[in-house]
Formats: sequence, C-alpha cells, structure tokens
Amino acid sequence: MSTETKPKAELYKRVDALWTTVRDQFAFLRQDPMAFAGMLVVAAFVFLGLFGPYLAPHDPIEHTVRGDGGSVLRLAAPSADAFFGTTAYGKDVLSQFLAGARPTLIVGLFGGLGTGALGFSVGVVSGYYGGWVDELLMRLTDLTFSLPFMPMALLLLTFMTPNIWLITAIIAAFLWKMPARVVRSEVLSVRERTFVKSARASGASDLRTMLYHVAPNVLPIGFLYTAYGVAWAIAAQASLAFLGFGDPTMTSWGRMLRQVFASGNMRVAWWWVLPPAVGIAAITTSVFLIGRAYEEVINPEIQTDQ
Amino acid sequence: MSKFQRFLLKRLAISVLLTLVAVSVIFVVLRLLPGSPFEALVTSGNLNQEQIDEIRAMYGLDQSIWVQYVNYLGSLLTFQFGYSILRSQPVWDVLEPRLINSLILLVPALVTTAILSSVLGMYAGWNRGSRLEKFSIVSTTLLRSTPVFITAIFFIIVFAYNLEIVPALGMRSIRATPDGYIETFGSLDFLHHYILPFTIAVLYYSGDFLLLARNGVVEKRGSEFLKLHRAKGLTEMEQLARAGRNSMLPILTYFTLRLGMIFQGLILLEVVFSWPGIGRELVLAIQQQDYPLVQAAVFIMALAVILANLLADVLYAYFDPTVSTSGGGTA
Repeated sequence: MSTETKPKAELYKRVDALWTTVRDQFAFLRQDPMAFAGMLVVAAFVFLGLFGPYLAPHDPIEHTVRGDGGSVLRLAAPSADAFFGTTAYGKDVLSQFLAGARPTLIVGLFGGLGTGALGFSVGVVSGYYGGWVDELLMRLTDLTFSLPFMPMALLLLTFMTPNIWLITAIIAAFLWKMPARVVRSEVLSVRERTFVKSARASGASDLRTMLYHVAPNVLPIGFLYTAYGVAWAIAAQASLAFLGFGDPTMTSWGRMLRQVFASGNMRVAWWWVLPPAVGIAAITTSVFLIGRAYEEVINPEIQTDQ
Repeated sequence: MSKFQRFLLKRLAISVLLTLVAVSVIFVVLRLLPGSPFEALVTSGNLNQEQIDEIRAMYGLDQSIWVQYVNYLGSLLTFQFGYSILRSQPVWDVLEPRLINSLILLVPALVTTAILSSVLGMYAGWNRGSRLEKFSIVSTTLLRSTPVFITAIFFIIVFAYNLEIVPALGMRSIRATPDGYIETFGSLDFLHHYILPFTIAVLYYSGDFLLLARNGVVEKRGSEFLKLHRAKGLTEMEQLARAGRNSMLPILTYFTLRLGMIFQGLILLEVVFSWPGIGRELVLAIQQQDYPLVQAAVFIMALAVILANLLADVLYAYFDPTVSTSGGGTA
C-alpha cells in the first residue's frame, strides 16, 4: 500500500466508477419486471414520505370535513368533498394517508439502516477475529433471538412513552441479529482467501484488513439485509401501531388501521381501510421483490446456467 | 465423550444461561414500569393502609429486590406463576386454556403450510423459469412480507363481511357454552370460526418454506448426484424426489425455529380475530398492567424460542455431520 496522496484524477475515477455502478444497478433492476415495479413503488413511497404531509389538503387530525349543510361528514364514502371519504370522526382519509407515509418512511429507513449497520459490524468483527470475540458476540445474537421481539417491544413501549425514534431504536436493537449471522458466515469464508492472508502477512493492521479487504467482499450481502431490514422495520412499526403502541403524536398507516379496527367500522368503511393497508402491503412487498432480484446475483448457488 | 455429546452439553448449558438472562431481563423491565396495578386499587380509596400492606406482602413486594428476584426465579422453575391481579385466579389457570387455544390454531397451520408449500416449492424449483415458479414466488413474497394483520383484514372484509361465509371474530359463537376441550374443539361451530384464521396462518408462513424448498432444489439441480440418477434412467419425478429429500434439512430446521416463534409471531392474528389465545391475552394483560400474567406469558414465549433453537441446532448437527459442531448454530 502506497502512502495516500490522492490526486484529483483518482477521485474523479472513483466518482465515475460509483456512477457506473449506480447505472448498472438500475439497468439490472429494469430487466426484472417485478423488481422494477418494486422500485417504482419504493420511489413513490419515498416521495410520499418526504412531501406527503405538505400535499395533504387538510390537517389529518385537526380538520373536520363538513358537507354542504355544514354538518360534519362522518364515515362518508369517497366524494368530491373528500376523495378518499372520511373517518368516523369526520377526518379526511386522504390527508391522513398522505401524512401517514412519513413515520412509516422514517422508521423503515432508519430502522433498516440501523439493523444493517449494526448487524454488518457485528458480523464482520465476529467472523474476522473468531475465538472468544466471536463466541461472545454470537451468544449475544442468541440472546436477541431468545427474547421474543413482539412481547418485549410491547413491554418496553408501555413504560417509555412511544415515540418514533424509540420505536426505531427498539426495532434495530432486535433485528440486527439476522444480518449479523449471515455476514459472519460470509466473512468466515472470505477470511481464508489468499488476498486477505497476504494483506495480513504484509503487515496490515486488523482494522485495515477488515475495512479494505474483508468488508468490501461482504458488502453486497450487507446491503441486501439492510433492504430486508427496511421491510421488517416497516412491518414491525405498522404492527406495533395497530396494537396501540405507536407514536401517539403522529398519524401513521398502522394507526389508521388501528382506529378503523377499534372503532368497529371495518365492516362499512372500506375506503378508510384500503389506503393504509394497500400502502403498507405495497411497500414491504416491493422491498422484498427488489431484494430477491439481488439475492439471485449474490448467492451464486441459486444461480443456474439455464 | 464423543464430539456430538460435548456439543450437546455445551449447547444445553448455553440454553440454560440464555433462559436465565431472558428471565432476568423480563424481571428488570417489569420492575422499571412506573406505577403498579395496585395503585389503581389503592387510589380507588377502598383500601386502608393495613389492607394495602397485606396485599403487598401477599405479592412479596415488601421484600428487598434480591429476595423478590430469587423468589421469582424459583417460581418460574416450578411453573408457579402466582395470582393474576385483575382476574383473581392463579396465572396458570388463566394461561393454560389460552395456550391450548393458540396451539390448536397454530400448530396444525404450521404443519400444513410446511408440507404444502415445501412440496410446491420443490416443484417450482424443479421447473425453473416456468410461469408457476414466477407466480408462486411473487404471491408468497406478497404474503410473507405483508404484516399478517393486513392480510387478515383483507380476508375478513371479503369473506366475512361481503360474502358472509365465515364469522369475523371469536373462536365459538357467543351463545356456545362448551364444556371441556372435546366439546370446545369438536364442533362445526368451532370449525366455522377456525377456517379463516387457519387459512391466514397457512398463507402467512407459506412464503419462507416455499422459497427454502425452491432454493434447495435449484441448488441441487446442477449437482453431480442428480446427473448419476439421470444417467440411471430415473424419471423426472423420481429425480425431483431425490433432490427434494436432499434439501429437507434446512426446511426441518426452519420448521423447528418457526415452531418456537409461533406464539409471538401471531399475536396480531389473535388480536384481529379476537382469538382467545396467549398472544391476545398478553396484549390485554400489558394494557391492564397485570404483571404476573405478563411475566408468565413472556416467559412461556421466550422459553419456546430457546427450546426450539436448541432443538434446531441439535437436529442440524445430528443429521448433517459435515456441519461443524463447534458452535455457530443455524442462520
């Protein structure tokens, strides 16, 4: 390894390479119609999460929809007054749907990133060092496997006021075990390869070997599990909100479903049920479909030469 | 001592240790909760100080935290979970029927889905690139990634509300007052309530088994031993059977893991269908701050996971000697 004096040309080359990778990935996803559809849904979802609350025609909680006679429209079917109908409390479903995308995006994104980053680091360190470090970290993952996620999350959320960041943290704290195990087993095989051994032999430090030689080779699987982490986090957040353990200050899709379910209006108000339900189902499925397309690439054993 | 026995012993010790840690975490979390169910009783003003002290003493809350902890461990070991605060019944009397209600819904569903979707997955994997393969993958991906309560809501709306084929909630009709388990579960009324939640559970779990079986067969397809079978002149189906048998181990292991996670996994399903199972009881107990009930329910759920993990590891090591028995376990 030469001493680092990176000339500008080198930097440009790197940016260029990165750009090429992004374009390649895009082209790859376009080949798989399912993954491409998934990507469009994810893009729409990110857009909703960023701008949804501003697009909402009314305040999702404060505003009450009134009809021509000035009376509050409760459980009104979709009409010109409210495109997606109204809730039992006379609120605009469309506005709630638009505003409800944001907490879903926040928890999904950060829960997924947290899950991926934590799991990746634990996996790399555990696999690379082996020995007692490995033993300790793997027993820790066993522990998070043994503590049932749902009940523990419910317990924790009863004694801390639920807010969106707390929920994100709880999700990441329980879900990092999945990528950790997979990444670790990948590292175990990468560790034995010649270039890692020669790096060690030429005197590279542990940290350097891990960062420059081991990590890049297990990065794809880390990304894949980060993506899955996003879907898990969204599903977990929606489930918690549905059970009544969501952030009480924010309208979320899970909370909308809880309200329609708890108020007993599920039987009549399909317009109140469908938007949040379809929203959650679409985004989690899309992430998984994209993940599957990549899994075929990453896991060479599923790849067959047809 | 053989290598396998040593592995078994080590794995057993780890499981015991994990149980201890899990149980301690539950203890600490419950003690951290602000307020207690007794406060509701106390603030209602119907009790004098003497009665309050008496109740606290009854639940051992007047002792030091360490004594409480040791008592708690002892009680869990003997499955003596104490008295439910709000139901004024021993906790086990509350939980036992609910545990059975959960098991009767979930175990048959899990077994059914394991068999059906594994077979379908193997067939799909064998016919790689076929329409069936693509369809089965997309539909099961949809089913397993969508949170279970959303799938359930869709089905309730369609089959219970619009087509009115099945009831939307409960385990028996309200007027039914069955006596004993045989009467409870052996009736058409029960079956009528059973069919929808059962179907949802089967569909929800189908994805993982299907993909596992499919990937297993796809991996085996190109392998040498199948070329031999083909050369021997076995039919397609016979070859598939061989390939399938050789990808059974991950499915078996996964089945065990799922079995352990069964109670917690379907808390939402029980809530949506008002199924009187242990998951729904836990949610209710948490809302009512019924600690003894909560800690017993969480303990049972954690124990199920730990035992299933242990079983899965041992099965794997036993059936596949090529797997290193020096730790690691299953992914």
